[in-house]
Amino acid sequence: MFESLSRRDMLRYSSLSLLAPSLSGWFGPLAARASETKAKSKSCILLWMDGGPSHKDTFDMKPGTKDGGEYKPIDTNVPGIQISEHFPKLAGLMNHAAILRGMSTGEGAHGRAKVYLHTGYKEGVGGLVYPSLGAIASKELGKADFPLPNFVTVGNRSYGAGFLGPKHQPISVADAARGVESLKALVGDGQFDRRVGLLEEMETGFHKQTGASSANDHRTTYQRAVRLMQSKEAQAFDLSREPAANRTKYGTGKFADGCLLARRLVEVGVPFVEVNLGGWDTHQNNFERVKQLSGQVDSPMSALITDLKERGLLDSTLVVWMGEFGRTPKINTRGDKPGRDHYPKAWSSVLVGGGIKGGQVIGKTDTEGAAVIERPINVLDFMATVCKALGIDSNKQNESSIGRPIRIVDKGANAVKELF
Amino acid sequence: MIRALTLSVMLVAAGGLFAADPPKPKVDAAKKAKREARLKAQADAKAKEEAAAKVNAEAETKARSEAAAKEKDLAAARAKSAAERKAKNPPDHRSLTKKIDIAIYQKLVDEKIPASPRADDDEFLRRVYLDLIGVVPPADKAEAFLDNKDAQKRAKLIDELLDSQNFGRHMADIWDNLLFQRVTDNRAIQREPLTTWLQDKFNADISWDSMVTQLLTANGSQEDNGATTYFLASLTADKMVDSATRLFMGVKMECAQCHNHPFTGWKQNEYWGMAAFFMNVRIQGNTKNNKNGGMPEVMETSRGKQKNLPESAKNVPAKFFQGTEPKIGGAESRRPLFAKWLATPENKFFSRAFANRVWGQLFGAGIVNPIDDMHEERTPSHPELLAELAKQFATSGFDVKFLFRALCNSEAYQRTSRPIAGNEQDATLFSHMYVKSFTPEQLYDSLTTVLGPVAGNNKERMKDNTKRGPVTVRDQFVAFFDPGEGTKITDYDAGIPQALRLMNHPFTATKSVAVARAVTRGLPVESALEKLYLATLSRRPTAEEVSKRLAYIGKCTTPEEAYGDILWALVNCSEFTLNH
Repeated sequence: MFESLSRRDMLRYSSLSLLAPSLSGWFGPLAARASETKAKSKSCILLWMDGGPSHKDTFDMKPGTKDGGEYKPIDTNVPGIQISEHFPKLAGLMNHAAILRGMSTGEGAHGRAKVYLHTGYKEGVGGLVYPSLGAIASKELGKADFPLPNFVTVGNRSYGAGFLGPKHQPISVADAARGVESLKALVGDGQFDRRVGLLEEMETGFHKQTGASSANDHRTTYQRAVRLMQSKEAQAFDLSREPAANRTKYGTGKFADGCLLARRLVEVGVPFVEVNLGGWDTHQNNFERVKQLSGQVDSPMSALITDLKERGLLDSTLVVWMGEFGRTPKINTRGDKPGRDHYPKAWSSVLVGGGIKGGQVIGKTDTEGAAVIERPINVLDFMATVCKALGIDSNKQNESSIGRPIRIVDKGANAVKELF
Repeated sequence: MIRALTLSVMLVAAGGLFAADPPKPKVDAAKKAKREARLKAQADAKAKEEAAAKVNAEAETKARSEAAAKEKDLAAARAKSAAERKAKNPPDHRSLTKKIDIAIYQKLVDEKIPASPRADDDEFLRRVYLDLIGVVPPADKAEAFLDNKDAQKRAKLIDELLDSQNFGRHMADIWDNLLFQRVTDNRAIQREPLTTWLQDKFNADISWDSMVTQLLTANGSQEDNGATTYFLASLTADKMVDSATRLFMGVKMECAQCHNHPFTGWKQNEYWGMAAFFMNVRIQGNTKNNKNGGMPEVMETSRGKQKNLPESAKNVPAKFFQGTEPKIGGAESRRPLFAKWLATPENKFFSRAFANRVWGQLFGAGIVNPIDDMHEERTPSHPELLAELAKQFATSGFDVKFLFRALCNSEAYQRTSRPIAGNEQDATLFSHMYVKSFTPEQLYDSLTTVLGPVAGNNKERMKDNTKRGPVTVRDQFVAFFDPGEGTKITDYDAGIPQALRLMNHPFTATKSVAVARAVTRGLPVESALEKLYLATLSRRPTAEEVSKRLAYIGKCTTPEEAYGDILWALVNCSEFTLNH
């Protein structure tokens, strides 16, 4: 096994990683190539706002109304579009973004809503575990011979491959600054190479005896893991290789690191990266917390969009900002620092790049932000929209583990045509 | 790198020693007085501590002797039940074993497919350990078995493993995963009470019909009765029906929840007729979080309506699947009626489902596949054999171990997994043993058998634990390697993250070095290699392997370093990770 990676190759890669002077050496040409080829397949970065962000305090402001909240709206670089004052940098990039203000999704419990918004299917329907968007993208856009995993999650558990199987399971990075768990050998390079050679002998011997497909799959999986360890693409996981000046643009914190990692991964060709920012479940102390959370989003997300733009990757990379639902239009009465509760009936998500028509708001809620009065978007529509932007045929049927054909997005979905 | 790690371990140990050093004497008089006061206080505290320690020690001794007494009682109870079983004339498995071999062999002859020869002792040993108690044999057991000349040693080993407490543990791992629905709404429900309950029942030889009846009819909290976990984790009547029909009848009804079944002609009304047996069950308390302490309870009442049913729910009278509508009194509880209809020799689904599942668990493929979707369109590979297995399992009084004993003693089960010319493509007729992947539990238990415990929380979860998710190291490992539902037992399902962890976690990458050093200490090279192979692959290395490994040892600075590398490769290789 590992014949694809000879001993000499390994040595070359190890020395390469030792000598590699800066990322510009090999990132530069890659980025240039990406901008040349228009037909590059799409990527997606999902910025998951865990807990459900308050739409009225972020992208669907209702100034001057009862329970409109404490923040002021500010103008953006698109005339007529206003967003929260706590997104000053994003305000300058709204020409790339579309705000969907008519999200209406019907699941108000965190667990079930997260499954629904990640997979497009209600939890447990038909006794199946459905694949999340990342796994779908891995299957439809990923390359089998790619040394990196086609689906990476950063910062929290995500929703996995379901019936699409372990090949599309995400590799998850708990802390972007620390990279992929267990990616580095704990023994020296020479000893690791020797060990892998030894393993190779054993694997070949056993497979020859049994001819079992499981033995072959085991071998392939180990090959891919070793290849990942040795591949130059894996350097994308190493944030210390990012020039300091560029890193500063993203700001500090786990979410900032996650956004930077997402850009680095998309740059080398990973089709789907999910970055998690928790804390949006603001039943209490909504206004201090949403302000603080918005601050955590503004710099990294803006730096991400700008970086993608500068590298010619924005048109091929869809950035999605969303949580599992919005929050109640009414401010609750929990203690002296009240908050807002779960609200799936009317809320907002934001799409940026990926070739969509930016600079627009789609959908409208009433004066209280309580009901969608124009252009409602349900979960199916939303999933179909993301698929369309990524060039995935949402009507395609994949086989479940029991051989039942399941549509990527269930019947009855209408992609938001205003975006295309 | 290893040296650095060893060093840090030593430093930690040294830190412990330094902390125990007495404080240095001070000269200043005021300080001296202060110091004396402090010393006195310390001495008092020490005395108090010692007294407390004494009390603790007494309590511990008492607890230990109580535990020992309890263990003795248990052992006595076990011996008694074993004796009773013997006195009752336990069903003789041999006629069934013979029927298995005739049926399998006849079909191979009919289809002109050659059968692979009998597995060698080492292959059989490893397989039967993994299949019956979920773990590879320790090196010394392997060695003893291989050197044992007793002609009956295989049958004796099967009996020994079936009598081991780890049989119940392994079965509990399997059934806990099947019975516990993985959704977010039951996250406050603990798995432990169910696992323990299952383990105890399997080990106490409780018959399958009795276990299923208890699972289906249990009331109260998890603390009262671990079997209530089944409903608590299933949450609603429809999920209960999906699960119970699939697991205990080998029938997948869930398609009929929203529409008539596409292949079988099962009607939506039949589905809801079955669900009606569970419509009066209520869960009192919160299954999503346990912030408020109280444990959720299962109870039966006709008051109110069950919550969270799907939109397609139909209110129809209770009716048995492909059967009658039972007469139900107003206050009569319905679940016992269902259990009574299901768990009997007369119910053609019940014994067939279990027989097919156990067959699939041991052979890597069912006689009908998928093993839990046995509707009429799916032709069994050996219909008469399946009928015979079901019949004899029912006649045995649904004796679980009887079924395992009959299957494991067959030549079919004891065939090698190495295909021979002409049977390589066979995946349904059992011409050779199909290679199975380890479950995460088998992998964890086998790794720790070889390498010792993993650092971290190895204790069982506390009873009143309010933490969610995996708590012990084993739970965490299992969650990380979980292949998800509906995966085939013959597929290797782990991905890159799992391979990275197995290669580069300190447990395998560096602890293997220390373990290899310990088990090979003082041994000549050939014996050392043999030891490493017995500990991991439960066999002795071949002459070719010995010469290759000797060449490898020659490349390393010391044989010790090479042993570490070899052990690392052995626990990472597919022969270790697959049950063959």
